[in-house]
Amino acid sequence: MHSDARPPLALTLAAIGGLLFLHMPIVLIFLYAFTTEDRSYQFPPPGLTTEWFAVAWNRADIWPPLYLSLRVAALSSGLALVLGTLCAAAMARARFFGRDTISLLVVLPIALPGIITGMSLRSAFAIGDIPFSTFTIVLGHATFCIVIVYNNAVARFRRLGASMLEASADLGANSFQTFRHVILPNLGSALLAGGMLAFALSFDEVIVTTFTAGQQSTLPIWMLNELVRPRQRPVTNVVAIVVFVATFLPILAAYYLTRGAEETAGGGK
Amino acid sequence: MTPAVEFQSVSRHFGAVKAVDRVDLTIAEGSFFAMLGPSGSGKTTCLRLISGFEMPTSGAVRIFGEDMGTVPPNRRHVNTVFQDYALFPHMSVRENVAYGLMVKGVDRRSREARAEEMLALVKLDGFGGRRPAQLSGGQRQRVALARALVNEPRVLLLDEPLGALDLKLREAMQDELKSLQQRLGITFVFVTHDQGEALSMADRVAVFNEGRVAQVGTPEDIYERPATRFVADFVGSSNVLAPAVTEAFGGPRAWASLRPEAIRLAPGGRVRGTVTGARYLGAGTRLEVRTGALPRTPSDHHDGGIAVLVPAGAAVPGVGAEVALDWDAGALHLMGEEP
Repeated sequence: MHSDARPPLALTLAAIGGLLFLHMPIVLIFLYAFTTEDRSYQFPPPGLTTEWFAVAWNRADIWPPLYLSLRVAALSSGLALVLGTLCAAAMARARFFGRDTISLLVVLPIALPGIITGMSLRSAFAIGDIPFSTFTIVLGHATFCIVIVYNNAVARFRRLGASMLEASADLGANSFQTFRHVILPNLGSALLAGGMLAFALSFDEVIVTTFTAGQQSTLPIWMLNELVRPRQRPVTNVVAIVVFVATFLPILAAYYLTRGAEETAGGGK
Repeated sequence: MTPAVEFQSVSRHFGAVKAVDRVDLTIAEGSFFAMLGPSGSGKTTCLRLISGFEMPTSGAVRIFGEDMGTVPPNRRHVNTVFQDYALFPHMSVRENVAYGLMVKGVDRRSREARAEEMLALVKLDGFGGRRPAQLSGGQRQRVALARALVNEPRVLLLDEPLGALDLKLREAMQDELKSLQQRLGITFVFVTHDQGEALSMADRVAVFNEGRVAQVGTPEDIYERPATRFVADFVGSSNVLAPAVTEAFGGPRAWASLRPEAIRLAPGGRVRGTVTGARYLGAGTRLEVRTGALPRTPSDHHDGGIAVLVPAGAAVPGVGAEVALDWDAGALHLMGEEP
């Protein structure tokens, strides 16, 4: 219900308070990336400087975790794109016994606490005598990345409808041509959005990674370790900004991509 | 001459449901063939058996004498106009029409030129650059038609082609489809639940009921000489007479149909009755007459009431008037039992 009356002052204040509570810590993180004080977080900062960006750039120990995080995020979202799409294609088109159960099993990892996923993967790797490596981190991340891609793809598959695929076959296209010329173009933005969300999720994942990384550290784990040691603290904040940008931009892009697709698909009917 | 499409005792069962049950059909080359029936009667499944999206449980489907067996849809020389048109939303109209040629590997220039020809054929010149979403329902219908014709099929299948159009557009498209079929000379097979559409467009009609073909014939056959009670009921507005009623009307004890326009009001006619309702139709007035001598048959909707069409210009008796009905001896058409 719309009302032209102004909301009560208390409600306005509460809303502002709630938003501040949610977002002030992030603003503070950004602020402390520019502080001149490197041992403790005092407010207000005694002075502002951009030197920490240069310091962070020259710190050799930042680069390997950053590369590892990027590599893991790229590999696990790539793996999720292939497996999630195939899975969605099977689920959207076939009707078979146990289909609903399998659909639930595919989506379950996103609902499962990361600590459970992490523990079970760790013991599975131990039983299988698989040494920890980039590959084990990728596997851990793929469990929840697949769900993201699957959810995006399966919704689009449903909208695609059977008759368009039949029309393609009717006009002489084989399955590969139908996939290449009809399915993929219609699925494209959903896959891109799913892939970006998966990338963002993987890039800042901590819990599953702790269980599956062994001695390596990804960027979030490096940050966690860094917070314990009071040395060049603002560098951690600089890295936090990098993580923020690397995860927030894909999510924002994914939001706009799927929103635009809905508009064009809706315009057809 | 080899028929374009031939069904030989074709059945398609889905579990216990007999969607199509022992159907025999022959569709001559160059004909405009309608499959008419209520929803769930098996007509669409028959169309999909021709296009290859369904495989027969038993029996054989032949296209130009060749047993289709398990030949997939993309290797059959038939094309379909889908009920919802199924246009590709991400392609332009021109690309949609050229799709069949593209997947065959025809180069871009020739396929686009051909697509423009097809668009001209369906009177959509100049629409090639648009997206399907920018077209009206009638225009999308034409694009679907052009797209299906670009591969030069020998049989064109149309699934409820006019179902989504409004009345005015539907009538215009009926004429246009008919003239297009005559110009191209290819076989059109179309599915519809609209008896008017089937009778006005097709030169042969198959009436489907519960997975079986109740009757195949020319529109005149179907309308004037319905083979079964179902056909008489479904096609048009004929009076269907139960055996007892037929007997009372001077015929043998059998199911019969009697068309409203074949009945005239004449003093000293065969049957007397009371007018219980009248509906003005423009070209005439349709009277409901209760012939009181008849027994009510609770199992049937014909409780002795009968529809009579009084042509325009003739005197129309009011509701409650006593009338006498008469008809020519040949007008009472006897029907067989349901198969």
